[in-house]
Amino acid sequence: MSEEQYEWPWQYSFPPFFTLQPHAETRARQISVWRNLVLDYFRGTKQYTLDIREASRQSLFCNTAINRKLDTEFILAILSDLQRTQNAAPIDKQRHRWEIYWHTLEEWANMIYNYVSSSGATNSVLTLFELTQGDDVQSEEFCGLDTDVLIKVLRVLENERKCELMLFDDQQGVKFF
Amino acid sequence: MRRRAGVGAIQKQRLEQEKYKDKGNEIQENQFEQMTKQLEVFRVNLEEFAAKHKNEIRKNAQFRKQFQDMCASIGVDPLASGKGFWSVLGIGDFYYELAVQIVEVCLATNYKNGGLISLNELRTRLIKARGQGKQHQEISQDDLICAARKLKIFGNGFSVVSVGKGQYMVQSVPGELSMDHTAVIQQVANSSQAYTSISILRDQLNWERDRAQKALGHLLKEGLVWIDLQNPTEKLYYFPSLFTACINSSN
Repeated sequence: MSEEQYEWPWQYSFPPFFTLQPHAETRARQISVWRNLVLDYFRGTKQYTLDIREASRQSLFCNTAINRKLDTEFILAILSDLQRTQNAAPIDKQRHRWEIYWHTLEEWANMIYNYVSSSGATNSVLTLFELTQGDDVQSEEFCGLDTDVLIKVLRVLENERKCELMLFDDQQGVKFF
Repeated sequence: MRRRAGVGAIQKQRLEQEKYKDKGNEIQENQFEQMTKQLEVFRVNLEEFAAKHKNEIRKNAQFRKQFQDMCASIGVDPLASGKGFWSVLGIGDFYYELAVQIVEVCLATNYKNGGLISLNELRTRLIKARGQGKQHQEISQDDLICAARKLKIFGNGFSVVSVGKGQYMVQSVPGELSMDHTAVIQQVANSSQAYTSISILRDQLNWERDRAQKALGHLLKEGLVWIDLQNPTEKLYYFPSLFTACINSSN
């Protein structure tokens, strides 16, 4: 789905939606709508990373039609809330760059493991490329998953002793148990 | 020689008076009895009428309104009690059912409008939620106002605010709205926008700055308006409940 086709919720055209609300209850509602919007948008456009410094230029956070945009503080508030539920994580110390998980790492892990076990691919080695770009996974939700995110997901499974990652410079593979 | 009034005459006079009194009582009693009879007949007729037209009353919004009006003009409130002969008719039930549905719609939309909803939007949503049958669909504004007003029994959590031009808003959050707050809602409802501001209130209502500020501050605190700080000239206060895209959105 391209950005132009994305169907915005009504709040996106509501000017005060872009101002962090002072009233606690209203703000909680506002953040919750933003959370869903961010996750849904990233899912719809298949994006996995966000740089706060460039975020204000993204149409998600900037509605040029009504001339309203989010400031950095606001975006950070949304991301912190997403982090609380493990739907986002900063990938640098300055908290500038973030990964967005519209499925949490655990959810991705379950999804991938279920796929692998149901397709009988346990005990054999798969390349990471096969796992997210191969012909067999084209209709799977995790098709096209970002490699950095995938590695984190596989680390979760590795901790549960369900797979073993093999990361060499030229070959990145994984063996499921 | 003129006879002087004697004891006998006085007694006779008293006797007459008593007779008059008795007669008076008798007449009064008769009248009372007749009145009671008439009322009884009237009640029976009204009952018969209501029973006979029960289905129409339930199905036809216009008929229902006229029946309500008729009852109101003779001082009968068919909703006043669930007991008595009205309960047999289920007319009260109709409105209780509506009232419950009103609460449901208000609760379901509370997260986005903060507990303020126009009667039009309420009606559209309520009808959508009801069955598809014709009798479920014909709910008039008057029915809704009638049912919503009954909700007052539960304290000040529910109120119907007239915003002029036959338009109403239903407020479903605790906390009474003052005249000033209602005036702000009316001002916005009658404008073509969903927002207002201090200067707009100063222009339109001839308010002092402080008064406008205070009213808007309260509405903000109640969660009925959202503030927009990105307008170049001044802060704007938006009512989601009057914002078209919000009213028309399905979620």
